[in-house]
Amino acid sequence: MNGRDSVGKTLIISPEKCTGCRTCEVACSFRKTDSFNPQNSAVTVYQYDEAAISIPVMCMQCEDPKCMKVCTTGAIYKDENDTVLIDRKKCIGCKLCIIACHFGNISYNYEQKTLVKCDLCGGDPQCAKLCPSGTIQFKEATSAQLSKKKALAEKFKSLLEEVEK
Amino acid sequence: MKVKFFAYLRDYTKAKEIELEYCSTVDELLHRLCDRYGDEIRRKLFNGSELSNEIIILINGRHIAHLEGRNTILKEDDVISIFPVVAGG
Amino acid sequence: MMFGWTGKLIRVNLTDGTVKTEDLNQEDAKLYLGARGLGTKIWMNEVDPKVDPFSPENKLIFMTGPLTGTIGPSAGRYEVVTKAPLTGTIGASNSGGHFGPELKFAGYDGIIFEGKSETPVYLYINDDKIELRSAEHLWGKKVPETTDELLSETDPGARVACIGPAGEKLVLYATVMNDKHRAAGRSGLGAVMGSKKLKAVVVKGSRSVKVAEPKKFIDVCIDARMKIKNHPVTGTGLPTYGTQVLINVINQSGALPTRNWRDGGVFENAEDISGEALAEKYLVKNKGCFACSIGCGRVTKIKDGKFKGFGEGPEYEAGWALGADCGIKDLAAVSKANFISNEYGFDPITLGSTIACAMELFEKGIITKEEVGRSLYFGDAEAIVELAEKVGTREGFGDILAEGSYRMAERYGHPELSMSVKKQEMPAYDGRGVQGMALEYATSNRGGCHVRGYMTSPEILGVPEKLDPLVTEDKPQWLKIFQDLTAVVDSSGICLFTTFALGLPEISSMIRTALGWDCPDEEILRIGERIWNLERVFNLKAGFTKEDDTLPPRLLKEALPEGPAKGKVAELDKMLGEYYRVRGWDENGVPTEEKLKELSISF
Repeated sequence: MNGRDSVGKTLIISPEKCTGCRTCEVACSFRKTDSFNPQNSAVTVYQYDEAAISIPVMCMQCEDPKCMKVCTTGAIYKDENDTVLIDRKKCIGCKLCIIACHFGNISYNYEQKTLVKCDLCGGDPQCAKLCPSGTIQFKEATSAQLSKKKALAEKFKSLLEEVEK
Repeated sequence: MKVKFFAYLRDYTKAKEIELEYCSTVDELLHRLCDRYGDEIRRKLFNGSELSNEIIILINGRHIAHLEGRNTILKEDDVISIFPVVAGG
Repeated sequence: MMFGWTGKLIRVNLTDGTVKTEDLNQEDAKLYLGARGLGTKIWMNEVDPKVDPFSPENKLIFMTGPLTGTIGPSAGRYEVVTKAPLTGTIGASNSGGHFGPELKFAGYDGIIFEGKSETPVYLYINDDKIELRSAEHLWGKKVPETTDELLSETDPGARVACIGPAGEKLVLYATVMNDKHRAAGRSGLGAVMGSKKLKAVVVKGSRSVKVAEPKKFIDVCIDARMKIKNHPVTGTGLPTYGTQVLINVINQSGALPTRNWRDGGVFENAEDISGEALAEKYLVKNKGCFACSIGCGRVTKIKDGKFKGFGEGPEYEAGWALGADCGIKDLAAVSKANFISNEYGFDPITLGSTIACAMELFEKGIITKEEVGRSLYFGDAEAIVELAEKVGTREGFGDILAEGSYRMAERYGHPELSMSVKKQEMPAYDGRGVQGMALEYATSNRGGCHVRGYMTSPEILGVPEKLDPLVTEDKPQWLKIFQDLTAVVDSSGICLFTTFALGLPEISSMIRTALGWDCPDEEILRIGERIWNLERVFNLKAGFTKEDDTLPPRLLKEALPEGPAKGKVAELDKMLGEYYRVRGWDENGVPTEEKLKELSISF
């Protein structure tokens, strides 16, 4: 699945650089469907105008993925690089995983009848490749970066809860 | 003579404007600036031994492309403005 | 299956409230591409250019391009096309943000509005669901609150294009605003929307935009994006400083019009209002439009003081108009007046230039303190902020400023003090110091305007190559190519700023692979020439003649007093005849029969 050079790499987000252009969304949807449609993108840029914040959010590749736990057919699994992947042959489209994900990072493409979730593009993530501002980078996951990523996830989770209140 | 710097060139010169002792040509002036500010600015002003095409140099508002280029003779009271190529609109 | 285009248009009759969809005319789409070109063609097919801009017979068209919504660089543009109330010429202004792509994702290339509603309405589009809804509760509200209310009553993920109070009150330079801060800015297209009682268009889409040759398309787009990233203008200058970075360059070049163009092209306080100052003092963050790899947008905030505010910009032209042109060095006041322009929805270029003209009328004693309601000297920072508010509500002297500088100056018997062409105010480059820009202003199909053929790029900045700004030779030939290429770019759906780094080959490659075309670059440039000529035909039919291809007497007769262009006037007479010849037009500036036939223009 993942190429050798991507071993240990992960998507690192620096929201302070994000201009909110959503190039990542179009790039992702193109990779997955050969056409452009943010609805079919595994990354979504959340924008908070007044606070001048924009944050691209995609699957965190959780250590203990809730989506994997709830999957009744075993379609969701972790590969040797700890990337959480979906075996499309086993997926029955029950969408329990969509409900289970805290961050809303799995969605459903009704045209193609498939789940949309970040799979790191098999080791060459297009969002990072095309991000013009350097907000999304695919890098060695040092412990400092991982803790930054975790902090960001926590911050985003509380922000989401705030918005949904 | 007065030399003005703009946009991110100021990051290297740490000044918007300086007084420089007389240089007889644009070339001499640019080399003097490189000596003063080092390699960072040299890389912006020159591309190898050629003048960089990513820089705009005005003598009293006139672009050196319409004067004698880097061989342009300078006068004591000339104002030299140096910009990276920028645009907007 | 359609590629690039979605193949569908929405037609809304505001008089009887009917909404229907129809197929895009494929022949017209091939000849005019999209957005600016195709919008103009559709308008010309259906309306007589002699129409009164505010009558129900004038149609208002929102049109995207075939690259809008794709991963083309900065491919987030849409165009608003109608007959412009400020000029009476073809009105076409484009805007970025995320509205245009969302319209494509909903499955439509464009929307045609016809007729006029009795009561305020807005259009809500959610894929197949398209409905006119009451906007009574929104009438009178500013752009940010209108946008927020609409998002909360439709879909938080939707995109909004709307007018503010200025559009409702038919301010002749009202804008159409989308995503709160982005404007289809010039010539008063928002007032046409206001005249139709159309407050907003809200769109949400979930469909895909497809291209003909996906593999090739992504390759040419990635190549184009790399070129943009590696170019000093688009990769470093614009992201770091925004468009306002031009203030110092143009000022040092002696071409920054100062105090209603009266005091020449050098503003002694330019540094105070420069992009460098903006970045240092008020910049919060860079902002990019949809799929933009440049990110020139500035989120700015004035934290305290009497000009406290939050918004975007100012952009270079607005910063100049409200700054140097009014003799103002207070960047907080300039930014505040710009925020107000976006909130009420009007064009800060025309606003600044109109206030500058009023300042000259005041200093000459032609208008008085009683008429204005205050003194109005050049350099009065509080005046621009106060008057901007008044324009938005057409209150007091704001009612006169709301007509633009030409009508105001004419009212007081001095039309020569309006720095406008075809009644639209010229932007921030003095044609006396940049001769190609003088020709651009005189020949632009929408009057005083810089983004129809941006000659400043070669003449001042040396992109793609350096031309001498003080000479007239070869300018007509250069301008024609710039105008034609700009028409292609505007009609494709990508941002004009990409052309600092990209040329015809890159742009043609994107268009060809998106649409599955097989034609040489020249044929794509020919589309631009066709669009330019169709716009010219519009203006001629609307009653414009060669006499209108001119400049304010100040540029033709008063020489610049200082700077590198000292002693220069705009030498339009040396260029205009040659320009007509290069265009294949007769000596009266009318496209010849052969030219129209060669371009397959029919109307």
